[in-house]
Amino acid sequence: MSTQVAVILSVLLFPGGLFALTLGLALKGVDRRVAARLQGRVGPPLTQPFIDLVKLAFKRTMVPTTACEPVFLGAPLVGVVSMLAAAALVPISGLYTPEPILGNLLVVLYLLVIPGIVLMVAGSSSSSPYGAIGFSREMVLMLAYEGPIVLVAAAVALRVGMAEGHVATFSLVEIVAYQRTHSIFLLDPVMWPALGAFCLFFPANLGIVPFDIPEAETEVLEGPVLEYSGPALGLFKVMSALKAVVVLGLGIALFAPLGLSGAPALLGWLAEIAVLMVLGVTAVRLSAGRMRIDQAFSFFFKWPLLLSAASVAAIALV
Amino acid sequence: MTILQKFKDIAVRSPWIYRINAGSCNGCDVEMATTALIPRYDVERLGCQYCGSPRHADIVLISGPLTRHVVDAARRVFDEIPDPKVTVAVGVCPISGGIFRESYAVLAPIDDYFPIDVNVPGCPPRPQAIIEGIAQAIQVWRQRL
Amino acid sequence: MNFLSLFVRNLVHGPYTDPFPFAPAPTAARFRGKVAFDPETCEACRKCERACPTGAIRFERTPEGMTFDCWHDTCVFCGNCAFHCPTGAIHQTADWHLAHLQADKYLQVEHGLIPAIVCSSCGGKGLDSAPAIGKIKPPLSPEETQELRSLCPKCRAKYLKDRRQRA
Repeated sequence: MSTQVAVILSVLLFPGGLFALTLGLALKGVDRRVAARLQGRVGPPLTQPFIDLVKLAFKRTMVPTTACEPVFLGAPLVGVVSMLAAAALVPISGLYTPEPILGNLLVVLYLLVIPGIVLMVAGSSSSSPYGAIGFSREMVLMLAYEGPIVLVAAAVALRVGMAEGHVATFSLVEIVAYQRTHSIFLLDPVMWPALGAFCLFFPANLGIVPFDIPEAETEVLEGPVLEYSGPALGLFKVMSALKAVVVLGLGIALFAPLGLSGAPALLGWLAEIAVLMVLGVTAVRLSAGRMRIDQAFSFFFKWPLLLSAASVAAIALV
Repeated sequence: MTILQKFKDIAVRSPWIYRINAGSCNGCDVEMATTALIPRYDVERLGCQYCGSPRHADIVLISGPLTRHVVDAARRVFDEIPDPKVTVAVGVCPISGGIFRESYAVLAPIDDYFPIDVNVPGCPPRPQAIIEGIAQAIQVWRQRL
Repeated sequence: MNFLSLFVRNLVHGPYTDPFPFAPAPTAARFRGKVAFDPETCEACRKCERACPTGAIRFERTPEGMTFDCWHDTCVFCGNCAFHCPTGAIHQTADWHLAHLQADKYLQVEHGLIPAIVCSSCGGKGLDSAPAIGKIKPPLSPEETQELRSLCPKCRAKYLKDRRQRA
């Protein structure tokens, strides 16, 4: 019984649900503010993403007459729920350990696929040509980046598993625990290629420049979410905010969990995630141009795949 | 003051802007793009955001004298914008026809076809004038929420 | 790596944004804004009405005199009226605060009235407009100008003819 209550709380309050949503929106605010400062502007207030959400709640949701309404309105809900579950799965070093019943690294990877699928479903069910373009691009991009991330996960799992005497460990709790007792993988030369592959993966998963091809605002007018308005669009904003927390949190859990506990652990984790957001998202999206979908596809089949495979090979051989 | 009104006061700080070019010469569009993009005028600090899709918009800026060819398309795009919305006519062309007034090819003034709320005259209006117009549009929008 | 130096420069310098909605915006001294009209110096030649490309300027004869109207909502601020005005009665101010609500659309008008008078010489109809002084030699004295203003066009022509002959 207590396990069930703990699971529900972790999904709805901390670290999923309310906490992740607040953090995700705040991160988005930081991102917009820092981006504005780097461009020599004042920028919106840090609370702007919250204000946007409140505004969207007051707007009317319009459903295109040619759209399939249940799918059109259901898609963002599925995305939000999947990300709530995923947020509860990612451990925070020294602060939060997910219940084993929730699942391991593989489940997180499965759940991370769902927002992409939701975007595809949203784009195709809206019956808009821009949505269809966004749908096909999202599909191609997903095919490209899913391979490297699986290999990155395999590299981490192998490294922990072989050190502990079995083949591979996909439990995020054990991965974090291993890094707390030994050194973090950020300082482990064998893991550097995998880290590089992860750094290339998460801009694509979060849909930011140079890999924002499916949602490219200047080309396909935000593609899949083009036809959404009002609260339904707000759900997409919630989904992407949660997704940012999940992906960045996963990166921290896989490569750089801090050896702290208690309140310093929370502060350290927040600092890490903010630094990752500013350096990995804001600076990258301001300094890069958008790739074409075929360029992104061949890029992902070249570098991240090579890097993560190199890491796996190095671990297996050493 | 109820909680709902408080939330409405918060909501008006996030006006998303959409542009409709109803046969404009591009002068006003350039000024609007300037207002949006140049760090000197930075409308994002006021919560504004230019959006590509009419479905996301709150405030519509219409420029151009509404040529005969564009009227159906403009009308259709306008209907795509969810309520509550506010319409701003930018430049003298949509307001009265300006230099194109009484031409056989234009249907200006635009308020015969669209419910206009705020006018920003000028040929083109300067970016600050557009920001002023948006500020007035936000007042109108607050009453409609 | 050019963008990195740009980032650093922007961060060090701070935002370049004007404080506009919260502070007055800088406006050039010769900014071509709202048209202003001075009925005192207008000679009612109506050149501006003909020069106006958009038909924003309209003169009309009424029992009270000649009315001047310039509708800012159709004026394109080209400055042709000010250029062609022989006396500088019409000029452009630096005022650009023109945004207004739809209800006020037809109130955005610069209005002026050149009052009608009864000619002090013949008793006919006339306008209290400034005399056309362009080609008059020697220049009119203030007293002569005042006298001319009180005459109808026919009597003005007669007055000026007499004055030329005197000279």
